[in-house]
Amino acid sequence: MRDKMAYTTADMMTCAMSRLLQDGEVAFHGVSSHMPMVSMMLAKALHAPSMVHLNIPGGVNPSTLRNTSYSSAGTELVRHSESTFSLLDVFDLSIRGKLDVAFLGGVQFDQHGHVNASIIGTPDNLKVRLPGGAGSAVLIPTAKKAIVWRTKHDVRTFVEHVDFITTKGNLWKIVTPLCVFDYFKGRLVLDSIHPGTTVEEVKAQTGFKIHETEVPVNAAPTQQELNTLRKIDPNNLRAIEFK
Amino acid sequence: MSKRMELEEAIKQFIRPGSRLCFSGNALHRAPMAAVREIARQEISKLKIVKTAGALDIDLLCAMGLVDTVDAGFVSYESVYGLCMHYRKGVEEKRITGNEHACYTVLCALRGAIMNVPFMPVHGLLYSDLLVENDYFKVVDDPFGGQEPVTLVKTLKPDVAIIHVHQADEQGNAIINGAKYDDEIIWRAADHVIITAEKIIPSLKGTYGKKTIDIPGFMTDAVIEVPGGAKPCSYEGLYEVDHRMLKKFLSGREKKDHQIWLDNYDQTDRKGLRQQAGGFRR
Repeated sequence: MRDKMAYTTADMMTCAMSRLLQDGEVAFHGVSSHMPMVSMMLAKALHAPSMVHLNIPGGVNPSTLRNTSYSSAGTELVRHSESTFSLLDVFDLSIRGKLDVAFLGGVQFDQHGHVNASIIGTPDNLKVRLPGGAGSAVLIPTAKKAIVWRTKHDVRTFVEHVDFITTKGNLWKIVTPLCVFDYFKGRLVLDSIHPGTTVEEVKAQTGFKIHETEVPVNAAPTQQELNTLRKIDPNNLRAIEFK
Repeated sequence: MSKRMELEEAIKQFIRPGSRLCFSGNALHRAPMAAVREIARQEISKLKIVKTAGALDIDLLCAMGLVDTVDAGFVSYESVYGLCMHYRKGVEEKRITGNEHACYTVLCALRGAIMNVPFMPVHGLLYSDLLVENDYFKVVDDPFGGQEPVTLVKTLKPDVAIIHVHQADEQGNAIINGAKYDDEIIWRAADHVIITAEKIIPSLKGTYGKKTIDIPGFMTDAVIEVPGGAKPCSYEGLYEVDHRMLKKFLSGREKKDHQIWLDNYDQTDRKGLRQQAGGFRR
């Protein structure tokens, strides 16, 4: 059913993240974060014009992604910006409790909202050295709302217990190709599912127990969202992680 | 006094086996690749590298077997090229110590060097296995009697920061076009600063009000003209990532493959050598 739709999984995830952003919020994304970057541009174009978009190279509110080819930390984000605010400034802002939203990645997540971006295995018996959590060990506890995304949704990604706790804290939502999880009272609960899947499928692809049986289905990307996406992201950066 | 040097000379003079190094830029943006290649050619080993987010710079030195320790928040190419396989393998095989930080704690550890204190307090980092597993983090009671415990990160003092810039003068004043990333921290933290520049002009004096000097000359030790000195990484407004050369490096398996890859850049990196040899190195 999903393959008949006029939009991609990347479109759906980008729209789901964009809809989580509110006008006036101050939001940050890091390196290797193409979908969050596009979702912030989409939110600003549609419903959150005065949201503040911060990033690693330090460009405040970049106006375009047209010159962006492969990176979410390129200096063109500065070239097209309104002013500059360095990465250190962003961290200091979050530490003072003034960063509303931080987008962060991760490789493994468990029912308690622990995020692992460090290693698979144990420190003494290392199977995979992952890239590392980048800013997440500081940003997930200090940003008001941390939104995490992951392009894989399977039982190796969503597990009962993570191999290593890189961080936990103000996790708010996790957006996957199938659903959105909400971090509620110390646990991950199913918040909503995307069109084209079922609660049963999400349960089968998740390594911890999901108790919810009926949850809302997210609206498919609207024509307005899709048109805007094509305009602001002509290079389809949002799909890079799926290639 | 002119600080102008050739690359071979500057690397030989300031970088020793075991040196702790910082590199400019972030991921594949404005890494000082010509200088990193020269370190690889001279095979200076047991290096300790400090960077918030590194990619080819760290991976190349790991591939050449020259790295002892990496202190970083994130070591990976961006999505298109995936993990830094040489770094990853080195850590998994315990040849390299991979000290994982939050990017912010790298910056705090460098601020410790700037302020000449042995550690820095870091707010916000209180719940993570990183605190349990690593001896460079400590959680202590607030010595001033506050209720919250305080996380400390051990200071990292770099011996040398290498920064690739757009323009510099012979006194070492330097201008970075585009994003500065963490360069403003690393040049303040390091004992020595090596500047590689796309272009060197005799003097930037008299440009006040027209151009902004990002790094004052009195803080730098050597300045080297290397056009294309960040390649195959990118430089704002000058060149994009050279995907062909990057792929070529990533396809290399053994040290001799990487040495052949390095040879591709001899002519552009080592100007002095080229001139002495009358045009060609070999």
